[in-house]
Amino acid sequence: MTLPSDKGGAGLSAADYDAFCRFLRERTGLSFTEAKRYFVDRRVTERMAAVGVEHVRQYLNLLRFQASGEELQLLVNRMTVNETYFFREMYQLDCLVNAALDEVVSGRAPGSRVRIWSAGCATGEEPYSIAITLLERWNRVDDFEIELYASDIDSHVLARAREGIYEQRSLQAMPRDLIAKYFTRLDDQTWQIMEELRDSIDFSLVNIADPQQMANFRGIDVIFCRNLLIYFDDLGRREAASMFYDALSPNGFVCLGHSESMSRMSSLFVPRRFPDAILYQKPQS
Amino acid sequence: MALVKARKIDGAKPGSVEEGGDPLAWLEDADPARRRRAAHALGERPDAVPALSARLAREEDPSVRETLLTALVRTGTAAAAAALVPHLVSEDVGLRNGVIESLQQMPAAVVMPEVAPLLTAADSDLRIFAAQLVGKLPHPDRLDLLAGVIDRDPHVNVCLSAVEALMDSGDPAALPVVERLGARFPDDPFVAFSVDAARRLFSGA
Repeated sequence: MTLPSDKGGAGLSAADYDAFCRFLRERTGLSFTEAKRYFVDRRVTERMAAVGVEHVRQYLNLLRFQASGEELQLLVNRMTVNETYFFREMYQLDCLVNAALDEVVSGRAPGSRVRIWSAGCATGEEPYSIAITLLERWNRVDDFEIELYASDIDSHVLARAREGIYEQRSLQAMPRDLIAKYFTRLDDQTWQIMEELRDSIDFSLVNIADPQQMANFRGIDVIFCRNLLIYFDDLGRREAASMFYDALSPNGFVCLGHSESMSRMSSLFVPRRFPDAILYQKPQS
Repeated sequence: MALVKARKIDGAKPGSVEEGGDPLAWLEDADPARRRRAAHALGERPDAVPALSARLAREEDPSVRETLLTALVRTGTAAAAAALVPHLVSEDVGLRNGVIESLQQMPAAVVMPEVAPLLTAADSDLRIFAAQLVGKLPHPDRLDLLAGVIDRDPHVNVCLSAVEALMDSGDPAALPVVERLGARFPDDPFVAFSVDAARRLFSGA
């Protein structure tokens, strides 16, 4: 998940902006500073016009008290912009199949489950990249039953992820032979990932700032959460790290983005330096 | 194919209803995972601050300790800040560091009244922690309080902690204060080094 970097502009009063940011932080974990003011203003103004509300406080009340939560979901969808591509930050996928998974399954009987979760999966490039990397390059892939989970807070991108249709730009880092093997060409510009892969991943709408929703994730072996927590404040990152800890099996791993460090979020994990990447491991006990 | 259809995760379904009862009671459970879930659940309950703090003093499991600290930070009240401060004198370095980080993440308005008095504590180590903390708090009194330490504290290491915190602020107004420390400890080579470093920092050299 990524956010754009609009600057300048103002619409909400300082008090309203502060109230909005606190509300979004509490409900979604997303943290917006003063530097994002124009960005927030613009999207709130758009949504207020769409629902026909004139005053910011009325709109905030709608977000707070609407039983269905539909408007909050629509606003969150507008606040999050998703742009990624297949095989992004490939070094961690290398690490997964070259070292981390072998350690995860050490001592496990053949046929047992391995669970991998892509948190903040946006339009699906990451979980599908994980799936293809496993199938192509992990030499024990047939020894285990591998469950892939993918989640995002944005319902629109999840729908696109389930559909699995991508343009050339998303496939730029992917070898031609793998495109031919796993995708169907729809027209000059678009490809769709094969049905078998689409059906193998469980895509779900999850707010990782919500402890109740996070409580459904247990026994996960590897969590990919790349370039998502940078949009959380210090406390939000710390809480997310704590919830990842609960979701992971002992010795499970967290993969963060290249500019992120767990040591600045939480002391719960042990950094593990592999030849391809640094991952963060939940201790055995 | 080795990929199997993952069991459906339902994001809307409450996940911890099976616990039942009051999470305060689970704080003393023998199972660390249950204590961690209790701390999670108590993070928005101001009435739980005394229990969270009491458990923190006894807790030996690092994952539970981290969750207890996070719960107190999330509570974000003056009472939560006051409950954390006594742990600054703990002999346990991990706990002390966790408390310092936690106080830094709480609202400055509730932390400063609890931490500022520690700048004159009898224990010089506590004064050093307090200077480090005050330096990190986005509070309007921060620079004046650190300047007071530099002008008055008898212990050079406490003064140097305040200098470091002032230099982190990046405010050029701090330079005359740092230079006054040179006059207080003219024979201390590390003070001379720090004053020189501050001059270079604030002159942009």
